[in-house]
Amino acid sequence: MQGKAGYFVGKLIELLVTLLLVSLLVFAAFSIIPGDTARVMLGPDASQAQVDLLRAELGLDRPLVIRYFSWLFGLFTFNPGTSYAYNMSVGELIAQRLPVTIGMSAVAMIMVILISYPLAVISARKPGRAGDQICSVIGHILFAIPPYVASLLLILLASSVFSLMTAGTYVKPSDDFAGYIGCLLLPSFAIALPKIAMSFKFLRSSIIEQRTADYVRTSKSHGLSDLKILVRHVLPNSNVSSITIISIILSDILGGSLIVEQVFNLPGLGRLLLSAISRRDFPLLSGIVFYLAFITVILYFISDIAASLADPRIRLK
Amino acid sequence: MTRHIHIVKVHLLTLAFPTGKDPDPKPVLDDVDFGIRDGEILGLIGNSGSGKTMTSLAIAGLLPEAASITSGSIKFAGKDLLEMDPKERRAMLGRDIGMIFQEPSTALDPLMTCGKQLEEVLTAHKDLKMTPEERHKAIMDMLETVGFDNAEELFSRYPHQLSGGQRQRVLIAGAALLKPRLLICDEPTSSLDTVTTVSILALLKDLCHKLHITILFISHDLSAVRGFCDRVMVMKDGRIIDRDTASDILTNPRNSYTAELLTNARLDTRILGFEPATVDYSRSPVLTAKGITAGYKRSLFERVKKNGGDEAEDKNVLHDVSLEVFPNEILGLIGGSGSGKTTLIRSLLGLLPHEGTVNIRSSSTGAIFQDPVSCLNPAHTVKWHLTEALRASGKKTAGTLKERRERTYARITGVLEECGLGEEYLLRRPNELSGGQRQRVAIAMCLIQEPSLIIADEPFSSLDASSSAELLKIMTDINRERNTAFLLITHNIHIVRKIAPRVIVMSNGRICEEGTTAEVLGNPRSEAAAALLEAERLIHGN
Repeated sequence: MQGKAGYFVGKLIELLVTLLLVSLLVFAAFSIIPGDTARVMLGPDASQAQVDLLRAELGLDRPLVIRYFSWLFGLFTFNPGTSYAYNMSVGELIAQRLPVTIGMSAVAMIMVILISYPLAVISARKPGRAGDQICSVIGHILFAIPPYVASLLLILLASSVFSLMTAGTYVKPSDDFAGYIGCLLLPSFAIALPKIAMSFKFLRSSIIEQRTADYVRTSKSHGLSDLKILVRHVLPNSNVSSITIISIILSDILGGSLIVEQVFNLPGLGRLLLSAISRRDFPLLSGIVFYLAFITVILYFISDIAASLADPRIRLK
Repeated sequence: MTRHIHIVKVHLLTLAFPTGKDPDPKPVLDDVDFGIRDGEILGLIGNSGSGKTMTSLAIAGLLPEAASITSGSIKFAGKDLLEMDPKERRAMLGRDIGMIFQEPSTALDPLMTCGKQLEEVLTAHKDLKMTPEERHKAIMDMLETVGFDNAEELFSRYPHQLSGGQRQRVLIAGAALLKPRLLICDEPTSSLDTVTTVSILALLKDLCHKLHITILFISHDLSAVRGFCDRVMVMKDGRIIDRDTASDILTNPRNSYTAELLTNARLDTRILGFEPATVDYSRSPVLTAKGITAGYKRSLFERVKKNGGDEAEDKNVLHDVSLEVFPNEILGLIGGSGSGKTTLIRSLLGLLPHEGTVNIRSSSTGAIFQDPVSCLNPAHTVKWHLTEALRASGKKTAGTLKERRERTYARITGVLEECGLGEEYLLRRPNELSGGQRQRVAIAMCLIQEPSLIIADEPFSSLDASSSAELLKIMTDINRERNTAFLLITHNIHIVRKIAPRVIVMSNGRICEEGTTAEVLGNPRSEAAAALLEAERLIHGN
């Protein structure tokens, strides 16, 4: 059916246009910021000739448009310049730090899904009963705790009260994968907590709504068991609306991990970002910002595609 | 299995919704006692809230959790259903008892193909032990039985790709797939247009004969059972107050309530006193629409992708529609589903971008829509709705706040009274009103703005006969006393014949016939009008 292919092609074009706009915004933002990078790097005592030389070396003397396109080309070949501060390729720097941020976000997301789904299903079975009420109250409390506060509390609990771990240790995935996941568990949980509450609340109301839908009554009249109705009809239908929420949660988690990394002293993108800001390392900064935006846009793209796969009404107009 | 004369025997069934506050409330079903004979089509008629749906749910075992059966018994083929455990009863559903419901648009899971949903009926009953091929064949056969020529294609279709009538056929196929002995049809046609209704009723009758399925047919429309049911029972306030053969009840009702229902269903003008105003066609019209062409816009991407001119033409739902509504006039607009009636209304109201001109002479135009449930804000009271409507009309009056408030209050109560609702309804919220009452509030919201034209889009289709009759009476009264013109969109020709002096017939987005009602309905020239009339004759008789 042409509608299906057309939908995907349309979404792909949307994705590319969005990415171009993002790159333009990022580039414009860092070009507008006042201050001469070469002057900052060389210090106030350097002569104008030295500064000009460095400018030429960094390519800062070229016209803006050419600089943008060479930067853009660099972005898509994963080589958007060299960091002033680290004197290393930006791509390499980001690649080093990415496993921490991505790993933490992934573990947090898995926690959100594994915990909120069963809770929502149980809660929605008998809305208004004691179990449901307790879950809702706990949800409200969790929802109100910001991840960095949760991190501090968790560190306190895990390292001081129960002596389970030493805060601030990090194991590389290439050294010991189990250890890598282990050191990410606590920070991931700190990010996941409020998101679990959010996803739980949303899923719960969506399941309750779907349970009273007409097609559930039809399925009952066909003699289907409650479990079958839940798994085959209610959950898929509530997923359609949840997919959008899940993608929002995922991008929230990504943002949250930048902060929690600081608290747990993990060498992720968040720390790199902060040091890039404090050292006016524009190539690194713009690289990080763009790639984070890139990941977010891709996530939304995936969620759109997933939503259309889940709902034939979007796919086959 | 031994044959019973009565396949279902309901004995002195009493059902209530006890709550913590009120452990012994007024019963919803009160000593209901009847039998359904093997092989018959039994009609169960009553207005909304009479308990007919609860009766059917009790037989099927699908009662809401809050319901409690306080006394009585239900026997199916000799077995007491209320004694069975839930698992056993569930096994009966689909196999012994099939059910179809009112709203085919929401009764199918939107995410699953029709074929898959039908297959579930077979896989739900584990003891059937059918191979996938056998299942597929059974479904194909049933889809053909319910009248699909393209069963293979339909199998992989999603519900949103089907029309209302097709969905109802799929639902009937699902309910009849295991050839149950009893098929409960709860208002299966009330949301369908007349032409589709006729075909669905014919299909049900066919199933009854071919597969020997007993049918319990629930409806609020007494006239719909004509020529369809063998026997009819009439329910009111949870009791069965009348029962007879269908022909006797329709021609010679003994019970006064049955007679009232019949009168309402026939919309007898003499008894109900509908008197629309006389129209002076020499005056300039209140609404003039010229050359309206409209359609649903495609997304930007779709338009860029194929910028072919001829394809754009196809997307239009309306083609060059022109019409005039004169002062005091009730103009009927009829047509089957998909003829473009609703699109026209949306264009006239300016809710849809369109080509052509719409000229509305009066300062304000009111509109009433099909579904009174979703038109009112559930969070607010009737008073709030009317105040809001009054404010929206922008007519400011002088005086102190108190004076203005009093004047507003007087106007609200006045208008509400005109629509047949007393002051006690002011503080009610939409969920505390019946369908008919909600529709009256919708009319009151129009009236308070003193429009010279009210556009009513299928205002009766969700109401039972009595409420429709009352609503019609209000509309004709308003028309006569306030000189308000109405543009009445409906698929019920019967209503148009009674109150509209002039009628327009639409088909495929064009006006195919226009003239005085007597002329058009007496001697239809277009195919569309003839088809509508034929369907109406089959259902309501003449």
